[in-house]
Parts: sequence; C-alpha cells; structure tokens
Amino acid sequence: MSTLPPLAAAASSQSGWRGDLELKFTWDSPDTKMRLVKSAAPLRTQRPFYPEGPQVCHVAVLHTAGGVVGGDQLHLSFQVEAAARVLVTSASPAKVYRSDGAWSSQCSFMRVAPGGWLEWLPQETILFRGARWSQNLRVELEPGATWLGWDLTRLGRSARGERFTAGAWHSRTEVWQAGRPLWIDPQRLQGSEELPEDPHSLRGSAVLATLAFLGQEVTADLLTEIRSLPVLGGEYGVTRLQSGLLCRYRGPSTAAAQGWFRLVWHQLRCRFLQRPACVPRVWPRL
Amino acid sequence: MGTASLLGLFQLASSSLPVGAFGYSEGLEWLVESGQVRDQATLKAWILGELSRGAPFLDAALLVRIYRAGSAGDAEAVCHWNAWLSAVRETEELRVQSWQMGHALVNLLGVLEGPLLPLARPLVTEPPWGCNFVTAFGLAAAGDELGLEETVLAYLYSWATNLVGAGVRLIPLGQTAGQLLLRQLGPALVNTLQASLELTDQDLHCCSWGLSLASMAHETQYTRLFRS
Repeated sequence: MSTLPPLAAAASSQSGWRGDLELKFTWDSPDTKMRLVKSAAPLRTQRPFYPEGPQVCHVAVLHTAGGVVGGDQLHLSFQVEAAARVLVTSASPAKVYRSDGAWSSQCSFMRVAPGGWLEWLPQETILFRGARWSQNLRVELEPGATWLGWDLTRLGRSARGERFTAGAWHSRTEVWQAGRPLWIDPQRLQGSEELPEDPHSLRGSAVLATLAFLGQEVTADLLTEIRSLPVLGGEYGVTRLQSGLLCRYRGPSTAAAQGWFRLVWHQLRCRFLQRPACVPRVWPRL
Repeated sequence: MGTASLLGLFQLASSSLPVGAFGYSEGLEWLVESGQVRDQATLKAWILGELSRGAPFLDAALLVRIYRAGSAGDAEAVCHWNAWLSAVRETEELRVQSWQMGHALVNLLGVLEGPLLPLARPLVTEPPWGCNFVTAFGLAAAGDELGLEETVLAYLYSWATNLVGAGVRLIPLGQTAGQLLLRQLGPALVNTLQASLELTDQDLHCCSWGLSLASMAHETQYTRLFRS
C-alpha cells in the first residue's frame, strides 16, 4: 500500500477540501479579458497570459494541495462570453491518492456564448491504485460556440509497475446545445484483476485519453487529414460526432497521447481559428 | 403472456426483421482482422464484455426508458432519450447504423400499423433527430404491450444473435458452435436485463474503449464484408 505524502495527508480532514474556482471571460475588442469570480482553496489560478497576442487568453488552474484525497470535492466553472477566445489548462498533472472508502470528485461547468471559443486542455490525471475518482463535466454551447476538450487518465502509477486492480474511475462528460445533447460520454471503470487485460476495456494499457471537439461541422476532408497525422504507438482512433470530432487513445504513454492530441489540436485551430496551436509554458516538453 | 404478445415478440426479435442488422458487425470485423477475436472463447469474452458494460448494456437501460415513455404517451421523454441514444453512440458508423435500422423499423411500423407510430414518425422526419433502433424497438413493443422485461430480453437476444452470426461468418466458426455460444450467453442476457431495470438515470454508464477503437478502425478498414 502506498503511503500518503505529508501535505496531502494533512489536507485529508474529515470533510475534505471544497475547492472552488469560477472564471468569466469577456471580449473587449481586441482583447479577451479574464475575471476571477470566485476562488476557494485548494484551487486558484495563475495570472492570465497572452503568448499569442491579446485575442486569446491563456490561464492555468493551480491545485495547491499537491494531490486529491478521498472526500475532496472540486468545483470549476468557466463562462466564455460572445467572441472571447480562451485556453484553460492546469499547472501540473493531477494526482488522486488511494482512498480507504471516500470518493473524491470534480464537477465542472462550462458555458460558451455565440462565437466564443473555449479550449479545456488539462494535464494528465494519475489515479493511484485504490483511488476513487469521479469527474463530471457539463458543457453548454450556444449557437456558433466552440469547445475543445481533452482528458488524459493514467490508471495506476504504471511507471513503477502499479496496476489499477483496485479503485474506481467515473468520468461523465456531456455537451449540450439548444436543449439537445451533442455528445454524452458516461465512462466508468472498476479496478479489478481481470479488467486490465480484457480487449474490451484496457487491453493491458494504463493510459486512456479522449479529445473531443464540438460546435463545428467537420468535413470529410478534414477528417481524412486528421486521420493521417503521425502517432507514437498505442491504439488510437478518430470519428465524427454530431457537430464535431472525437479522438480516443488507449496505450502505455501519456506523452504519446499528448503528442498526438497536440497535432490534432493544431489542425483544428488552423482550420477553424486561422491560427496555429500555441503550447502553454507549463506543459512538459515532449 | 398471451399468444398474440408472444407472436409480436418473435417477430421483433427475429433475425429476418428487415432492418438490415445482418449488414453490421459493430467493430467485430476489425477485432477479427486485428486478431483480438480469433475463436469461440475470445468471441464469447468480447460479447460478455459488451453485455456487462458496453453498448448493449447501456442500450438495454435506455430501452427501458423509451418503453416506459412510450407506454405513458410521453412524447417529450421519448425525444429526450432518443437524443441521449444518438449522443452516446461511440462512433459515426454506430450512430448511422442505429438511425438506419431505426428508420427501417419505423417504416415497417407504418405498414404494420403500430399504435405508437405517431411518437416515432417525427423523429424520422425532423432532422437532426434521427430515430435510433432502440427507440423504434421500444415504441413498437410498448405499442403492442409486449411486456417490458420480455421486450428488453428480446432486444438483447436479437443483438446477441446478430453478433454471434457475424462472428460465425468472420472467424469463421461452425453454425453449431454459434448455437452453443448463443445458449451459453443466456445467463449474461438475464443479468443485463436485471441491471437495465435497476440503473438510475444518474448511474447510466458504460466502459467500451475496445468497441470505440474497433469501430473507429472499422470506419477505414480496407477490405470488409460489413457496412459502416
């Protein structure tokens, strides 16, 4: 059994953290401006930065406790007003420690107004064996709004040979537009001895990753272009969603998934935003 | 259950129902090509995975909701769960398959004078709301009052028959091996039925990375017998 690092253990009070972060982004031509509506420990943000000019606001979410323990509840809310362009990432990978029973959870809500563009590109989440993690994300798109999000999950600290034979991962993502669900992804995985090898679920892999792009029609040409991007091992696939695109990765490496997702992201940006991808400084070099 | 209901169930669950199920392998063609499914044992393991946490697992739970909404004449709930079905398809080919089979069944209901046709028709005629096969199946069964549990079991049985049939052709397996497998799947079909009746809306879930990746790969598979 892994021992909890001291900092995280100290935070593991009876009730756990109730982290909260609410951000609002407005378009004040030619700038996208960020307003911090609410912030409660252990969640806060770094100062927004503009590495690609004033139109696109980059911001990194910071989790100051070093990791998530059973009982922690995190809440994120991002509102993107008309025409604003935003990239939100996380300052570091997220770690979810083994739990003796209590779940930890993250609920996120994102709303994008007409002509708004929101990229939610967090770094990977590492679930320790025995972690119980539930993430719930709901996106509301108004007409003409675009959302691009990805999720990279490592089940068990596979670098040190740990397999996810105990614990649970719940991840539900819903993207709605005008009262209609465009995409619902209600994934659940229960750690067990047999699951890791089953071709229907993990097939011996520790990393599951998803990229979803919604709010724009993806043409057959663009689909073909994205399918021909180079990948670095693992299994990967691309398909179209209702008004969008879905990429899945199952394999050994978050770096491989991230490398591929960055290429897809670049392609989508060039097509729909007429600008290249701009890698935030907080991301690891691949 | 009356003999008329039994006959109704036989007709819906029959592999000769003209909705085109025969043309789809739901990722199996890629799984066989890539060697992940290669014999009776690996086919069985795949189908058991699907039934316990994959597409038919989720579809059974959604069929329960469509059947109940149809029985109550609740057009709004039918529309809601039909939109849910479209939104959870893993890939474009699975979504197109579901809509194509759904529309074929709705057309058939027109001929058979299904009582709940008025709930299904608008889903076909008013894009972008395609009518999913589960929706059409649930409305056909609810309209004829075939019984909720019987309907879900008939749906799962017809799904399993089709997938076993695809496996028999692709691997290939003998017809008797296929029938033996179908018999062995009985307890799993009943387990999925039980789970579908108990799942709350909040607990609707699946875990089907294998299906998602197999179907994505099948969309671009070079040589194939089955449709996208």
